[in-house]
Amino acid sequence: MSFISIEFAAFVTATLAIYYIVPSKIRWIVLLAASYSFYALYDLQNLFYIIITTITVYLGAYLIEKIAKRQNDYIAANKDSLTKEDKKNIKASSKSKQRFILWICVLFNFGILLAVKYFNPYITSVHNLSVAYINMFRLNLLHNDDFFPFKNFIMPLGISFYTFQSIGYLIDIFYGKYEGEKNLFRFALYVSFFPQIIQGPISRFGELSKELYKGAPFDFINIKSGFYRVMWGLFKKLIVADRLGGYISATMSMKENYKGIYILLALLFYSLELYGDFSGGIDVAIGVAEMFGIKLTENFQRPFFSKSISEYWQRWHITLGTWFKDYIFFPLSVNKYMVKLGKMLRERGMTYCAKKLPIYIPMLAVWLVTGMWHGSTGRFVAWGLCNFVFIVLGTEFEPISHKIVTAAGLEENSFIVRSYRVCKTFILMSFLRIFDISHDTKAAFDGVRYAFEDWGLFSWDNVYTDLLLPKEDLIVVIVAAVIMLVFSLIQRKGSIRDRVFALPATAQWLILSLLIVAVSVFGYYGMGYDAASFIYGNI
Amino acid sequence: MYKDKVIEILREVHPEVDYENEKGLIDKRIFDSFDVVTVVGELIEEFDIEITAEHMIPEIFNSADTIAALVEQLEEE
Repeated sequence: MSFISIEFAAFVTATLAIYYIVPSKIRWIVLLAASYSFYALYDLQNLFYIIITTITVYLGAYLIEKIAKRQNDYIAANKDSLTKEDKKNIKASSKSKQRFILWICVLFNFGILLAVKYFNPYITSVHNLSVAYINMFRLNLLHNDDFFPFKNFIMPLGISFYTFQSIGYLIDIFYGKYEGEKNLFRFALYVSFFPQIIQGPISRFGELSKELYKGAPFDFINIKSGFYRVMWGLFKKLIVADRLGGYISATMSMKENYKGIYILLALLFYSLELYGDFSGGIDVAIGVAEMFGIKLTENFQRPFFSKSISEYWQRWHITLGTWFKDYIFFPLSVNKYMVKLGKMLRERGMTYCAKKLPIYIPMLAVWLVTGMWHGSTGRFVAWGLCNFVFIVLGTEFEPISHKIVTAAGLEENSFIVRSYRVCKTFILMSFLRIFDISHDTKAAFDGVRYAFEDWGLFSWDNVYTDLLLPKEDLIVVIVAAVIMLVFSLIQRKGSIRDRVFALPATAQWLILSLLIVAVSVFGYYGMGYDAASFIYGNI
Repeated sequence: MYKDKVIEILREVHPEVDYENEKGLIDKRIFDSFDVVTVVGELIEEFDIEITAEHMIPEIFNSADTIAALVEQLEEE
């Protein structure tokens, strides 16, 4: 079942009806049944993967807590006879046993993820997969089954997302942040909650569990609010994102012939496509959850208004960024080897390096992993490295940049400086994404070079015909993108839906009708077109 | 007891600060994120405690007193 389809809408409606009919206490069971049904309807075989992860992480957490409890009980029973040193030793011994279990579970589950993702001979990037679909639709090749050799392979849906979410839970249990879930089935819901299974957000147990198990009472405002959010997500995905894949793919595959402005347009369009696709999908997920009275974590915060690359990564795919920060970057940067490195450099008088290196080394590791998370080929590693280099350069040159701004008689907070920084970040990020839309690292660097050649040869006619973006589609994209921009600007001053809901009922219905009409009329549909292929869907 | 050791660690990073009285190490940007991570690494090493990313908030790292209070709390856990 596709995430964006009539079947999915019917599925959500039926689940909502049952959810609100049954008593509050057992509503979570409805969600669990719906989540597993959703997963099974997508592909029955892949249930195996999510069940394995659920059981192993559940057992891991159970054992970790059991060892911790035994230690605490022992210390409590013998508190008068134990010295401080004894207690410390008992805790250390208990912790090492817990750590052993943690590592077994982490390696096992990430092992499955790596095996599925990296030892798969067919899929190197989900973007390639979705673009291939779009192009085949464009070129009317879908009737020819042999043209697409990977059609029988399906990666376990959302495996990266639920693996990260589960392992995050286990690490939190290891650190004793909260009590683990005792009921296996309730835990299974946390891992599999269907609106977020495709592409996140990656939720934390401490927040999501309260929402999932509370059995929220029926409130029409949740349905209305969630529906608006879903429609807005569809607007971004179907009207903007899905119109652009053809142009991007055609331009990049013929970049030797279409250089200069064609490539710059492809980069601009890809930023729009990725944002519309990913944030649109997240809007659908958050909106559907909201209809059940469940609040999911936000994953985007107007990223294109970021003034630096590091800020951008705090506002784009926020839940993945915080996952990496909390579970990889932070533990690595306070690791004893980093502390020793810092000390050694300080003792040798290299105070600057002592301060920076113990941060930059873990940051490099995080960016390599982030690159690998996004795709299994070298160009994604290169993309991660470039992000790292730009962040380091941005951090190191910040004082100089500040001096230049001051010397020019400007304020950091002034409109000009902020606009300059926002534009610079947007351009840099757009260029970095060339790794994502090129077939290898060399092609990506060639693309950057070509972007600055033959500007004079640009013709809109080629865009409309050879590059598969008809004039009408371009106009729709421009208008929709301007609407998205205006909404983002308004959103800075508070929730748009709250403003809409403050309007008279007639105006609210009018806005909703316009949204529905826009998605129905201008959404990018067609025979054989699979609206459900989210770029991030199978990462 | 903890405070003296905490101040010793803080002095390794910024020797010029009056840690007995300073209450705005983060708010006044005396310590940046690089410094805080360095201090946390040293605290973990010195006291054998578990500091996680959720402890990384300005309220905790604004003064030697609040850092010492965190160390004491984590030591007792």
